[in-house]
Amino acid sequence: MNTGGLILVIGSLLSAAAAFIWLATKLKSGPPSPGGKPASPTSQIFEQAAKEDVDHIFNNEFREELRNRGRLHFEKVIGENAMFLQQDLRQTTSQLNDYMRAEITRTLQVEFKKYEQSITDAKALALDSIEKTVVTIEQQRKFLETQMLTQSEAQKARLIARFEVEMAGIVNHYILRAIGNQIDLSDQLEFILSELEANKVAILEDIKRGT
Amino acid sequence: MVLKPNLVLPSAVVSVGDLNRLSRELSSLNDFFLSAAARKAGAAPPPRVTRILNSLATETNKYNLLDAKQRQNLAQELKTIQAIAPVMHISFASEPSPQAIERILVWLRTNIHPYALLQVGLQPTIAAGCVLRTTNQVFDMSLRSYLDRQKDYLVALVKGAVGD
Repeated sequence: MNTGGLILVIGSLLSAAAAFIWLATKLKSGPPSPGGKPASPTSQIFEQAAKEDVDHIFNNEFREELRNRGRLHFEKVIGENAMFLQQDLRQTTSQLNDYMRAEITRTLQVEFKKYEQSITDAKALALDSIEKTVVTIEQQRKFLETQMLTQSEAQKARLIARFEVEMAGIVNHYILRAIGNQIDLSDQLEFILSELEANKVAILEDIKRGT
Repeated sequence: MVLKPNLVLPSAVVSVGDLNRLSRELSSLNDFFLSAAARKAGAAPPPRVTRILNSLATETNKYNLLDAKQRQNLAQELKTIQAIAPVMHISFASEPSPQAIERILVWLRTNIHPYALLQVGLQPTIAAGCVLRTTNQVFDMSLRSYLDRQKDYLVALVKGAVGD
């Protein structure tokens, strides 16, 4: 049913109600006095006809029809409201979601900024610590290098000094290992005699003291 | 008082042991002649003397070993030499030949003492040369000692070789 039909029905209902009210008012304003003459039959017939018309108009079917229309209208209104409510609810939910998303995003951004700041601080701290460690290690390395160089030089000097001190023994050992006892004593006699000649005075002195 | 002997020691007499052996041999010879005189059973041939005793008595000092007095003199001279002879210990890297010992002994008896005696030993670590030990001193005449004296030269040689 469209709006025009609905307006027509409501208009007919209102006109019937107005007619009923007018008739009731008319009947009430002019009742037969107890001492007056009784109502005419014509008016009684009209009254009877009006009553029948009213009964005829507001019969059970019409009332059922009205209830159905009212129910339908009520359902329509309920449905529209439910739709509006659903739309509002959806909108509210959407807004709530947006709000929550924005809040969460903001909170996360704040937290991320804090976290990023913490990471940056930690990174700076770690870099600083690493730089200090590198400087310390470099100092240690230089110190150790110097120390090792010094020790190496000292060790080298010691080895060279010992080698020089033991030079005769080393060469002698090498000769001994190389030729063993293969030098004939006859070949050494001139050397031995020259050595004896060189030590002659000392030997004589010792022999004289001994005897 | 120690008598000065007139004996000339041959180069064959090297050590105190040689002197002891000569003394024992002379003693044995005396015993032989005493027993031969006691037996009176004909002339027994005298025992052969060793080369070293022959060299000492007959060849070098012209002693007659058949004469008892001369044998006695010789024994006395040997005792005197044993008492006064300086004994030196000489070590070589290897066993020396008798000729080498003889040359060294001749030099010692010519230049140090006419009755110098040697005790020969071995010391393989000296490689070459010898080590002479007298009563109070040790004379290291080995190659090691010689190289030790030449240490500066050796060091210079090594430095030159390393520098190259």
